[in-house]
Amino acid sequence: MGSIKIQQLTKSFGDTEVLKGIDLDIKDGEFLILVGPSGCGKSTLMNSIAGLEDVTSGDILIDGNNVTDLSPKERDIAMVFQSYALYPTMSVSRNISFGLEMRKVPKAEIEKTVADVSQLLQIEHLLDRKPSALSGGQRQRVAMGRALARNPRVFLFDEPLSNLDAKLRVEMRTEIKKLHKRLGTTIVYVTHDQVEAMTLADRIAVMKDGQVQQFGTPYEIYNNPANRFVADFMGSPPMNFIECVVLDDKLVIESQGEKFELHIKHGERLKDAGVETVILGIRPEMITEPKPHVAGALVHSLSMQVDVTEPMGPDTIAFGQWNGTEIQARLSPEAGVEAQLTGLIKVQVDTSKAVLFDAFSGARIDA
Amino acid sequence: MRASTTSHKLYKALFVTLLLAAALVYLAPLYVMLTTSFKGIEEIRNGNILALPDALNTSAWSKAWSSACTGGDCYGLAPYFWNSMRIVLPAVLISTVIGALNGYVLSQWQFRGSNFLFGALLFGCFIPFQVILLPMAMLLAWLGLANTVTGLVLVHVIYGVAFTTLFFRNYYVGIPTELVRAARLDGAGFFAIFRHVFLPLSSPIIVVSVIWQFTQIWNDFLFGVVYSGPGTQPITVALNNLVNTTMGGKEYNVDMAAAVIAALPTLVVYLVAGKYFVRGLTAGAVKG
Repeated sequence: MGSIKIQQLTKSFGDTEVLKGIDLDIKDGEFLILVGPSGCGKSTLMNSIAGLEDVTSGDILIDGNNVTDLSPKERDIAMVFQSYALYPTMSVSRNISFGLEMRKVPKAEIEKTVADVSQLLQIEHLLDRKPSALSGGQRQRVAMGRALARNPRVFLFDEPLSNLDAKLRVEMRTEIKKLHKRLGTTIVYVTHDQVEAMTLADRIAVMKDGQVQQFGTPYEIYNNPANRFVADFMGSPPMNFIECVVLDDKLVIESQGEKFELHIKHGERLKDAGVETVILGIRPEMITEPKPHVAGALVHSLSMQVDVTEPMGPDTIAFGQWNGTEIQARLSPEAGVEAQLTGLIKVQVDTSKAVLFDAFSGARIDA
Repeated sequence: MRASTTSHKLYKALFVTLLLAAALVYLAPLYVMLTTSFKGIEEIRNGNILALPDALNTSAWSKAWSSACTGGDCYGLAPYFWNSMRIVLPAVLISTVIGALNGYVLSQWQFRGSNFLFGALLFGCFIPFQVILLPMAMLLAWLGLANTVTGLVLVHVIYGVAFTTLFFRNYYVGIPTELVRAARLDGAGFFAIFRHVFLPLSSPIIVVSVIWQFTQIWNDFLFGVVYSGPGTQPITVALNNLVNTTMGGKEYNVDMAAAVIAALPTLVVYLVAGKYFVRGLTAGAVKG
């Protein structure tokens, strides 16, 4: 049990409005990721859900009960902090049991919970240690253990992996996902890392300037971004944004003095929009070396001058220029080597998943 | 390479010599006090001030403690020593507890105007004792606490809270707010968080506060002489009276023994907890 409904939530610090009317409907058992650049209000939103921050207006409902004015203690929420916030003078086992102790849980039950949780997180051998004697990854586990022990209705994770090194981060990411699958408790997870967002979430809320830009599944966010900001923020390497002149229902791209016309889906809408130029948003994996294409693809053949290549292992990112904008193409390693040698290659552009944005507002114009 | 190590050694020797000289200057009066206190009065009059005593003569010590005259009474310093204890112990305890709670609130539970309040409290550190002598005397009289131990405790607590609050606030500011947040989510309240999370972290700063307050209050003369009455005078006042009461010749040995007795408790506190004092002060200073 742990559905969360957030209605018209606003929060101001003095004259600065940090949250500008947030509406979110989080289902019971859902893994929700709040993602956005720093200062977008995601941490404030999380603290508001936890009850650590008073809201200016709006309501927060957990399982249908309005908890807006309840203290953190009464909300039955557990949180994992970015700094872990382990109690430095307490042993690992007391760190885990402290919340139960404060809630006057019988001693035998506390002991059983600590044993269960530490077994689940494989920290049994650390129970007598102090947090200062633990490594970063171990602290992370203890912080999660402290949250798990309480068996709350909702878990909040505030950038829990940002203090770990890259390898451990990937490991813990998988572990958190497994844990969620096993427990089925609602999780709200704040991060600024779009890879974490894509890999973990059932649904993602992309935030900017105190507003939710888009709320949807990772697939929707990635393939059908609501605006240019979302498209730019999600995905690595990032989406290419190429300003193109509109020619009837087609777009013009100039490369090496040669002009190419690109067909796009919903070309007719382009005519209706009546604009002279648009921003074509196309992901690097849609610009490749010529290869057999899948059904429904809208392929074109273009030339591309390659300035630099970055071999990633499974593929190579090639940097070039179209319409005076830097673009990135995702080539196979072999094509990458050739591109590096010749400097000029033929690429295949698939516009079936391309999206179009207004050149000024950044809003979608083809959706 | 070689030249630099030689000059390095030279510098070090010079440095150590300077330190030793400074230590000697500081220790000389203590040496004179101790040696004099173990000498007989004839030996003091005829001998060298820096000479060691011929024999360990403890009569001056017992006289200073139990039979020297302080004004009209001749009971030595003993009764006043216990007066001081009765003033110092509660005052240190209360001002440390209040300072800890103040510091906890001002650093972790900030509210509208809390920084102003902290500033106002700090102002208390800069008010000279003399300024408040009269108003405080009136307040104590109004409260019916004039010439009482309780009154002196109150005065020292009020003065001490400014300092103890400063110590604890600056120490607690270095403790991340996320700890409080985590504990609140764990269901701990204001006092539970203080007890279980903050207090166990506080030993260095408690030591600082206790040493500071103990020394300040034990060594206080002005408040002691103004606000005490017969039977409630602290040891500093008694020491002054003892030294100024002369019957026949001046008994330097008794004066010296009395002075050492009066200084002994603060010395003991320093020796026992001194290393924490420096550590706690710097911890607070760096993080504050």
